[in-house]
Amino acid sequence: MVVCVLIPRFQLTVAVGDREELLGAPAALAPEPGREARVGEVSLAAEAFGVRAGMPLGEALARCPSLTLVPPDPAGVADAWERLLVRLESIGAAVEPERPGLACFEAQGLVRLHGGTLERVLAATRRVLRHPARLGAGPSRFCALAAATRARARRPQVVLGDERAARDYLASLPVALLRGRDETAALPEPLARLGIETLGAPAALPRADVADRFGSPGLLAWELAQGRDGRLRAREEPERLEEELELPEALSGAQLDRALGLLVDRLLARRERRGRTLRAVVLAATLVEGGTWREQVPFREALSDPLRMRLALAQRLALLPAPAERLRLAVVRFGPAATDQRSLLDEAAVARRARLREGVRQARAAAGPDAALRVLAVDPDSRVPERRAVLTPFE
Amino acid sequence: MVGGPGGRGAGAVGGPGVGVASAAARRHRLATPRGARVRADERDGRPLVVDGREVDAVRESWLVEDRWWSERPLRRRYWEVVTTCGRNVVVFHDLREGGWFRQR
Repeated sequence: MVVCVLIPRFQLTVAVGDREELLGAPAALAPEPGREARVGEVSLAAEAFGVRAGMPLGEALARCPSLTLVPPDPAGVADAWERLLVRLESIGAAVEPERPGLACFEAQGLVRLHGGTLERVLAATRRVLRHPARLGAGPSRFCALAAATRARARRPQVVLGDERAARDYLASLPVALLRGRDETAALPEPLARLGIETLGAPAALPRADVADRFGSPGLLAWELAQGRDGRLRAREEPERLEEELELPEALSGAQLDRALGLLVDRLLARRERRGRTLRAVVLAATLVEGGTWREQVPFREALSDPLRMRLALAQRLALLPAPAERLRLAVVRFGPAATDQRSLLDEAAVARRARLREGVRQARAAAGPDAALRVLAVDPDSRVPERRAVLTPFE
Repeated sequence: MVGGPGGRGAGAVGGPGVGVASAAARRHRLATPRGARVRADERDGRPLVVDGREVDAVRESWLVEDRWWSERPLRRRYWEVVTTCGRNVVVFHDLREGGWFRQR
């Protein structure tokens, strides 16, 4: 049994902070600086005007001229979400976070820990969250998500049974639920154009027909509608290592680079690093104008060299939309212990050659044996051009 | 002096003086000569018009003599010219069999 925790408008709620009255008025998260001009999560009042998350900013303002744009707070959202995940993990749940505001965990191992029933697990979940959330439970992750969207704030919805029960439950629900998954987010619109309104309709279609018309997203949607879903992948135990620097005055340019260098040095000097390299970090800033800025930076290879790290991070820091008053650097993932040793075998090249061979095979299957040829230099120094090179079969 | 595209040299493998080979081999050859319609100066053989376009300038000319020891000797006068539309073209005159060809 999978439990789904859904906190609607989580990012908007965090960004609004103390100004809770904004949630009662038409409001939407403003686009992040440097990103596509689309609004983020929207309030209920804004939804009443037809404004939807992901809508182009111009269209949103045209639909609702009184729309309040709330500066996004990606760093605050990440912090708040991390706190909630830690609380969920404190009841023993192995949590898979899907996105801020949506997480799932397997309840089976927790039932005996919390008194023997699923209801008690759900009660324990609600108790530790200390945040209004919708809880749903079902045989599959998608079914649990569907149940959570229909649950009331204080009354979880549970779908008991197996795969068949999940399929029956989902059959009458709208296909718009597929927007909850990145892979199938684009499907509800074409399905609606074909007159398919509920999840029962695609589930009743032959699998091959769905595959032919909608490709792999369609196949996934078909599986989900059948009550099947992939296994949960719980996140690894997080290891928090971060450094923060309060800037005496709003800095930008070269001074900000020096502050970044200081942060990198401090982070690398932390004893908890235990000589390991850093694979990915998060650079976050609190902006003078309000709001925050957050950028995850995965390094091309695991690093422990402060100079190379600063080179990589300074490029991202240049994207800062406004002067910062606080800068933070946190480790997302560690690499192996610092070393320059390379692998003996160039496995990437082997994989590349295998992919190339497969590509050649496919091209020949489609267009005949001459589909893939290579240029062979026969007599490159010949004075007669047609004798210099010929085309030969690729392999 | 006009060498037609269907001339002997253009139809054979690699054009004039190279010999006959299978269709597959011909398909797999690169830079094979293709017939060209050339009007040349009768005094020095310099191309004046190539495939209907007037020659603006001659950039270079050279002679290729090869396989003179075999039964299929090869003798070509190459011209690299610039036409009035700005295109850079290499043509040659087959001095044994006659005919003009373009070649990359």
